[in-house]
Amino acid sequence: MIQTEKLNKIYKQGKLKVKAVNNVNLKISDGEFTAIVGPSGSGKTTLLNCIGGLDKPTNGKVTIDGEVISSYPSNKMIKFRLNNIGFVFQAYNLIPVLSAKENIEMIMLMQGYDKQEREQRSNDLLNEVGMGNMSKRRPAQLSGGQQQRVAVARALASKPKFILADEPTANLDSISTAKLLDIMSRLNKQENITFIFSSHDQRVIDRARRVITLEDGKIITDKKK
Amino acid sequence: MIFKIAWRNIGRNKKRTLITTLSVSAALFLIILMRSMQFGFYDNIIHSIVQSYSGYIQVHSNGYWEKQSLNNAMEIDDDLINKINSVDGVKNLTNRLQTFALVSKGEKSKGAIINGVEIEKEQLITDWNKKIIEGSQYFDSTDQIVLSKGIAEYFNTKIGDTLVLFGQGYQGMMAAGKYVANGIIDLKNPGLNKMTIFMDIKSAQDYISSDDIATHLIIDKEKYYNEKKIAENISNVISDDYEVMTWKEILPELDQMITADNVGGLIMAFILYVIVCFGMFGTVLMMTEERKYEFGVLLSIGMSKIKLYLIILLETIMLSSIGVIIGIILTRPISLYFNKNPIHMDSFGEGLSDAMGEFGFDPIIPFSINWDIPISHAIFIFCVSILISIYPAIRIFSLNPIKSMKQ
Repeated sequence: MIQTEKLNKIYKQGKLKVKAVNNVNLKISDGEFTAIVGPSGSGKTTLLNCIGGLDKPTNGKVTIDGEVISSYPSNKMIKFRLNNIGFVFQAYNLIPVLSAKENIEMIMLMQGYDKQEREQRSNDLLNEVGMGNMSKRRPAQLSGGQQQRVAVARALASKPKFILADEPTANLDSISTAKLLDIMSRLNKQENITFIFSSHDQRVIDRARRVITLEDGKIITDKKK
Repeated sequence: MIFKIAWRNIGRNKKRTLITTLSVSAALFLIILMRSMQFGFYDNIIHSIVQSYSGYIQVHSNGYWEKQSLNNAMEIDDDLINKINSVDGVKNLTNRLQTFALVSKGEKSKGAIINGVEIEKEQLITDWNKKIIEGSQYFDSTDQIVLSKGIAEYFNTKIGDTLVLFGQGYQGMMAAGKYVANGIIDLKNPGLNKMTIFMDIKSAQDYISSDDIATHLIIDKEKYYNEKKIAENISNVISDDYEVMTWKEILPELDQMITADNVGGLIMAFILYVIVCFGMFGTVLMMTEERKYEFGVLLSIGMSKIKLYLIILLETIMLSSIGVIIGIILTRPISLYFNKNPIHMDSFGEGLSDAMGEFGFDPIIPFSINWDIPISHAIFIFCVSILISIYPAIRIFSLNPIKSMKQ
């Protein structure tokens, strides 16, 4: 269970103070497939960053399974992210010098998995996202859609509690988007993995089972389908 | 995996890697050759002087060096010799009895140093046999002597001529005798050439009317052993009645000259190192700045800052190591060649060769092939790369993943 209480994030822009996240109270249960939507500058990414522990809220708190992670020091937060949160970025952000398989294995290596387990799980995950035959390719040898599928596999590698995906389809064509959403939807249903997206892509919104709309950092609507 | 990432990262910008490693290897190439030449030159000087006269280590009766008098001589003692021989690194040793005399022939007279030597043992340490220019270095009878070139010239002496020695003997006795020139030696050292006479140690003892005594025990060391360490070990096994001195204490001017010249070499090396440092730092700076986004991603997905720093540290060490290896591979054959075929001083200008010879040095510069030179500089560059990686360390440990990914 992910919970935010009176979450605020204020940025300073010169002398101006901008409330990117404004008093957000939110509960996301395990197994949800949630999209946070809203226009550019509405605070979607900032909210996602606060939930993922990449950014510290100005005040308020983020609780994950009863643990208040918003007060964690930097090093503890890095470890928490490694073991509990999977990230999928708009720009894929795979490590360019590693192959698709190595990108996935790296996460498990950091977690201390042995070689056999890493080998097995990385192959399984690549097959899961339909990239089993391209495991040795480096990111530069893959299309955007293929890279994003590897990124999803990487996010799953650590067996996280939930996956945060920031505009995952923004750089993808419609076929790649559909494929990616199919994979994530299947993983959500079959393996009960929690997905939280930030997006303004209608195709993502259509697939989401819960849509939270933000405007000026505030939740305007919160609809479950 | 960290090693793999670091290794592949240095191949990301091949041109930059090439330029950086070549700058390291070029600097190291110059430094190693310069230092090989310097150390080879020093070794040659030390070898020339030490092997010609002083030996690497000397043992005297305590207080002899301060007051060089026959009254401070020591008895030749087999037990002492056995103890010194037992020290690791001692190769050969010989006794010498040194005193002073007034030499005269006809109307002329001149002061001289008389060296009573054990010629068979002496030849295992010094290279006098190579410097004999007339006659022989051996003493067939007790009244034979070998004259240095300068004395022979001063008295216009030929082999077979007789000279009279007159001086102070042991414990206040008078010392006098007639001796026949059996050989003439060119010691190459102008000072020694003007005033040195050699005779058998027994003849010298008879001349000063003494028992079995010596003033010096000259010790030669095994190659690659440190004379200071050997001297310390000798001090530990013999009694306090003796003083043990290395050639650096015996010939401090030579040591100072080498030290002064060495400082010049170090300054040159320092300048080259500064160039290497800036070259490497520039690369590390670019590597860090252009990958801030990537660092942000790695931190986001859970890589610890220490592991991230280790990647950069490894990349820096790999870059410098490649440069170091290339530098060493390039210099080794050159050092080996000039070790076997030393540069002659004449290559640097006419007369230099003669000037060097006058000071008792062989007028050649053989390059040192001691592995200490490349290894010490490789270690220094390794330390420099660790030092340089402080900058990325500071950047990484203060990195905010969100800010770095926004940039």
